Amino acid sequence: MRRVTTGIAWLAVALLAAFPLLVEGTYYKFLGIIVLIYGIVAIGLNILSGYAGLLSLGRAALMAAGAYTTALMTKALAPLPLFAATGLHIWLGMVAGTVVAALFGAALAFPSLRVRGPYLAMVTVAFGWVVWKILQEWVSVTGGDLGISSIPKPQVGPLLLETQSFYFVVLGCFMVALGLQDRIVRSRFGMRLRAMRHSELGIASVGVDVHRLKVAAFVISAAFAGFGGTLFAHQQNYISPDNFQFFSSVFFLLAILFGGAGTRFGPIVGAAVLTVLPELLHDFDKYRLIVYGCFILLTLYFLPNGVMGLFPAARPAARAPTGAPHSKVVAAMPAALAQVRGAALEAAGISRSFGGLRALSDVALSVGAGTIHALIGPNGAGKTTLINIVSGIYRADAGRILIDGQPARIGSLHGAAAQGIARTFQTIKLFGDMTVLEHVLTGLSRHSRLALWHALLDTRAAREEAASQIEQARQLIAFVGLAGYEDRPATELAYGHRRLVEIARALAVRPRLLLLDEPAAGLVADEIMALAQVIRRLKQASVTILLIEHHMDLVVSVSDRITVLDQGVVIADGSPSAIQRDERVIAAYLGPSHAAA
Amino acid sequence: MIEAKRFDQERSCSRRGRYMYFFFQIGSSGIATGAVYGLIAVGYSLTFITTKVLNFALGMWVMLGGMLTYSLQVQYGVHPLIILLLVPCLLFALGLVAERFTVLPFLRAGSDVWVLSTLAVGLLFIDLAELIWGRSPTPVPSYFGSTPLMIGQVAILPQQVLIIATAIVIFVALDLFYRRTLLGKAFRAVAHSPDVSGLMGINTRLVQAGSYAAAAALAGIAGVMVVPLTLAEPQLGTVLGLKAFAIAIIAGLAAPRGILICGLVYGAFEGLVSGYFYTGIRDILGFSLMILALYLKPEGLFGTRQEERA
Repeated sequence: MRRVTTGIAWLAVALLAAFPLLVEGTYYKFLGIIVLIYGIVAIGLNILSGYAGLLSLGRAALMAAGAYTTALMTKALAPLPLFAATGLHIWLGMVAGTVVAALFGAALAFPSLRVRGPYLAMVTVAFGWVVWKILQEWVSVTGGDLGISSIPKPQVGPLLLETQSFYFVVLGCFMVALGLQDRIVRSRFGMRLRAMRHSELGIASVGVDVHRLKVAAFVISAAFAGFGGTLFAHQQNYISPDNFQFFSSVFFLLAILFGGAGTRFGPIVGAAVLTVLPELLHDFDKYRLIVYGCFILLTLYFLPNGVMGLFPAARPAARAPTGAPHSKVVAAMPAALAQVRGAALEAAGISRSFGGLRALSDVALSVGAGTIHALIGPNGAGKTTLINIVSGIYRADAGRILIDGQPARIGSLHGAAAQGIARTFQTIKLFGDMTVLEHVLTGLSRHSRLALWHALLDTRAAREEAASQIEQARQLIAFVGLAGYEDRPATELAYGHRRLVEIARALAVRPRLLLLDEPAAGLVADEIMALAQVIRRLKQASVTILLIEHHMDLVVSVSDRITVLDQGVVIADGSPSAIQRDERVIAAYLGPSHAAA
Repeated sequence: MIEAKRFDQERSCSRRGRYMYFFFQIGSSGIATGAVYGLIAVGYSLTFITTKVLNFALGMWVMLGGMLTYSLQVQYGVHPLIILLLVPCLLFALGLVAERFTVLPFLRAGSDVWVLSTLAVGLLFIDLAELIWGRSPTPVPSYFGSTPLMIGQVAILPQQVLIIATAIVIFVALDLFYRRTLLGKAFRAVAHSPDVSGLMGINTRLVQAGSYAAAAALAGIAGVMVVPLTLAEPQLGTVLGLKAFAIAIIAGLAAPRGILICGLVYGAFEGLVSGYFYTGIRDILGFSLMILALYLKPEGLFGTRQEERA
């Protein structure tokens, strides 16, 4: 199967390369160049919208940023003898255009991604419209509606490139873009993007700053658009605001949607079909928006995963796991946990209100290093609120938190992870259909020492690091008792196993303090036993654990100490046996009459 | 000689007077435009509050309101007051249909795909409108005529007074609706948690579809009232929709009262900017302010910060 797809891919490349030799006249070659340029822009958008799930409708403006930058720059530089002889100005212009588009992208993405929700898409619409307006109005620079003409032709050394030669240059650029897309998606950056799409809280809990991640994705995709824009300018030799209307932005989104968002070849398939199709239709311009509108709706209804979505990527066949996994928790201590030293947590005077509701008042909690500390209490007692404060999701109204005696700087969930505080969630936050191995790898990605370019160039260091992280991830997966499930998509797992995946992901952070929020909820009896075993072995690894749980058998059997919360107040704190006899605790759970009895 | 000097003084005095007059003049007509922005902007807020859906095609509904007004009033001679009542009802019904087919199927899937489907509907209808009505802008006379009312020295068109009055009435009604009626409380409850609201016996489907259709109707009213001031054309709603979005963001999507205030202030400000400076700057201004607001206070000037829940 894999050999077949590789064969098809090479055949496609050969066809693309032979294309200008097979067709007569410049028209088709010209069309081929346009398809490839649009393909490059669409690849950039695919990384952003397809893989990371962030919709953008401002491609045209970013392309315009690239195109106008290179047009103005190369026109200014071309008369100089140095550049006329070497053609350097073209390459300088292309680099400058790409950089300018990326800067525009950063300026746009930084503010609009601060809020969650569909802001970005609409802000990009407005951005595209404003840029278009500026291109029209700022006549002294952009030439207004007339645009910029006689942009220097592409040139290698002193040699001017004809349509056919330029086709090969653009094809080369396209192949590089395709390769970059692959490597970006497979890098830890790409893995985080895909994970974020499914759960922002989940990816933040392993120490990833979601805002930064999104801005980075937008900037990278903007660079692709800007680069495409520079190619476009030199190909056309003439640009005007007409080339960069809102409609073009819709074109690119539709292209990846139709081709298959989040697939490798979706962007080029979509770009090719949508570029060639109008050429075949008469009167297309008249009904352009109607055709596109219907096209979008039909694609959404009938091809939700696009054309390439019809051919799902061949996954390595998941090996059948042998026996019930949780019956044999005898795996060796994972290397990732070898150097973990549990931290002591000290919280004092913690208060937090929601509106008029006082969720926590003056709560104190002291968790010794390397101990297992349970936090129990009736529903609504404030347990999860407390964990949310310790893990940086909420801010406390008052109080202080010390980690190993030092004031902790926990401003956010990812900030907490950076301090060695990892957590699981009461409602599981996994990354959709990513595999168990990938889940744990995202957790480990924080410990990567290499910059992104290592992954892009596929350096030896990058490959070695990837191999070592995969080994560490396998050990962690075996440790929680899921050996054999590495290549299974998390969506295919039983509920109890998903909880274990979340624990393995949290362990990959190498936590000094692990917060478990009701890990046994929804588990059957023998799964709870296996969980208890994992927790006890974590104590051997000297990880400090704060455990919220309702299963008293589990709590009593693993905990060193128990704190009881009721209505936001600590009502008891002590050893398991003392807590079991405490009258106030019994009253809180069963009502005052039972306590008296 | 003396004559000339007195003449000079008089002229400079009246120049200052004219300056103030000019200020109020463009400010007041700007407020009317601002009321239109406010009406559209609150439409974004309506659907966002209940379903987190932004109707990307809101500008299209403004256009439909405007073009229907043109057809009914100019081509069929329907009384303008009937139009003002009829068009919103029509668009409300159409909004229910649009919601059913372009939002609901994707809302269930829990994805952001509705962004694209609402956008697609917008594109489709703008082109359809161009086929039906043609591209050229056509004037629609105001029912109240074009003789300006004089308030002191400031002239204001009756249509502008109508717009401001209608916007204020609608906003007060909306405010009372949210705060005083059971259905209004249901709207806010659905915004908070659709699942729990469903368990409490609130018909969440009704609220979701109703808010979408109401936004369409409000945008339609904006369209009905703005065409006598601008011209009726299929591209009418595009820019209005974008500016209204900027205002909704600046004020805060979850703050309907703030949206009216921001709309009015923004309209007046925009009028002054284009009156004193260069008209081209006017359109870039709103966008720049929106970006600035997102930098400084992403939840909007009138919005309150919401913490995400684990």
